[in-house]
Amino acid sequence: MTTALSKIASSLMIPQALASTLEVVINQTLALSSANASLDKLTQKTLTIELAELGFPLSFTVCNSIENSQMMVTALTERADCTIKTSIKTLQKLKAGQQITELIKQNLLDLTGDIKVAQQFASLAENLEIDWQSELANHIGDIPTHKLMQLGKSVSAKLKFAAKQINADASEYIVHEKRLVVTRSQIEHFNQQVFAVSTQVDELNQRISQLINRKTNH
Amino acid sequence: MSASEQNQSPDKQDSTPDNTTHFGYKTIDKADKVSMVAGVFHSVAQQYDVMNDLMSFGVHRLWKRFTIDASGVRPGNKVLDLAGGTGDLTAKFSQLVGKDGKVILADINSSMLNVGRDKLRDKGLVQNIEYVQANAQYLPFEDNTFDIVTIAFGLRNVTDKDMALRSIYRVLKPGGRLLVLEFSKPEHELLNKAYDFYSFNILPKIGELVAKDGDSYQYLAESIRMHPDQETLKTMMDDAGFEQTSFKNLTGGVVALHKGYKF
Repeated sequence: MTTALSKIASSLMIPQALASTLEVVINQTLALSSANASLDKLTQKTLTIELAELGFPLSFTVCNSIENSQMMVTALTERADCTIKTSIKTLQKLKAGQQITELIKQNLLDLTGDIKVAQQFASLAENLEIDWQSELANHIGDIPTHKLMQLGKSVSAKLKFAAKQINADASEYIVHEKRLVVTRSQIEHFNQQVFAVSTQVDELNQRISQLINRKTNH
Repeated sequence: MSASEQNQSPDKQDSTPDNTTHFGYKTIDKADKVSMVAGVFHSVAQQYDVMNDLMSFGVHRLWKRFTIDASGVRPGNKVLDLAGGTGDLTAKFSQLVGKDGKVILADINSSMLNVGRDKLRDKGLVQNIEYVQANAQYLPFEDNTFDIVTIAFGLRNVTDKDMALRSIYRVLKPGGRLLVLEFSKPEHELLNKAYDFYSFNILPKIGELVAKDGDSYQYLAESIRMHPDQETLKTMMDDAGFEQTSFKNLTGGVVALHKGYKF
């Protein structure tokens, strides 16, 4: 099954399309993050990740040109310094580098090669923090950024309020005006009644059993 | 798709027994061939990358990535990007081989080479790249020099493909591999018809509109049709001495990646 999926992915060049997209996203993020400096330590190091759900590997290699360091994402497996086999769910936990050994103990990932490389990549991912406000200020200035952020907060609050209002109005319309759905209290009342009937049936069942026993003994 | 970098004859058997050869579907004097094909690539060099994106809807980037992924390139490798043109493969290889490796971008056409060199320098890729104007049939390198040789959208334009393959085999190290990325024959007839319609009706018009040169892209479409199909090229690689040769069709066979090893 995995082989068939792998063949389909390969003929559609899905690994290459995914690698290309990831490469753009990662490098844009790195360019905006202070973590970019720590890339130098990983120059020419490759971490290969094989996710069970994908059926093909993705290799992350740190390369540097005369201007900067960049991450290259490929489907190359031959050059891996460290290979991790895991699932998407576990991958999210990998951001905390110190958890790697714990995840290995729990059989949630297989690791071959240099664990330090995996830890350094995990540390890089953990330190990817982007200060969007200061990034925006670099482009449009401090005061416009401040105003924009205030506007953003105000719009966000109004949108939340509007969403809450729409939700309440919709509930009112469906439950009370159109009577398409019953209320929570009506459901609870109905449940109580069903429980009471169920209890009575059980009692009746027991009495019938007792009466049958008595008759049999006589 | 791309007007390729090795501006030589585009046809299967290339030279006819007399003093004529082919230029696309036309028969011309051999003496005129080099200058005519050179004219095509001098003409399209500046718009080459834009045209590649337009004509292939950007898919040429995935074909080239596929080639990189199939190359098995390692840090320290020596790579020859033959008919490398504007340097898409060289840019990737340069980063992957690192400072201990080397990439030679070779092309017979000086205009393409100049565009490639400017582009790579603008990207800051200067440390491990060398530029060589070279004919694929007469590679100016010592025997057993390269770990990997690639030729992307170039082989179909080489006059004597067998000779070029033998030349490549010579410069590869034992254990080295050749990757040929080239237009090929679509696997399904319906796709083949749609591809023909696109190549001969739409592609030259895009060329006229963007590169102001419809004729060059008409030539491109014709040269693709004259190129050997997947199995024939595989046999040619076997005949040149390559082992474990194989090919992989991409985008339904519009393009194929052939791979062979020297042991």
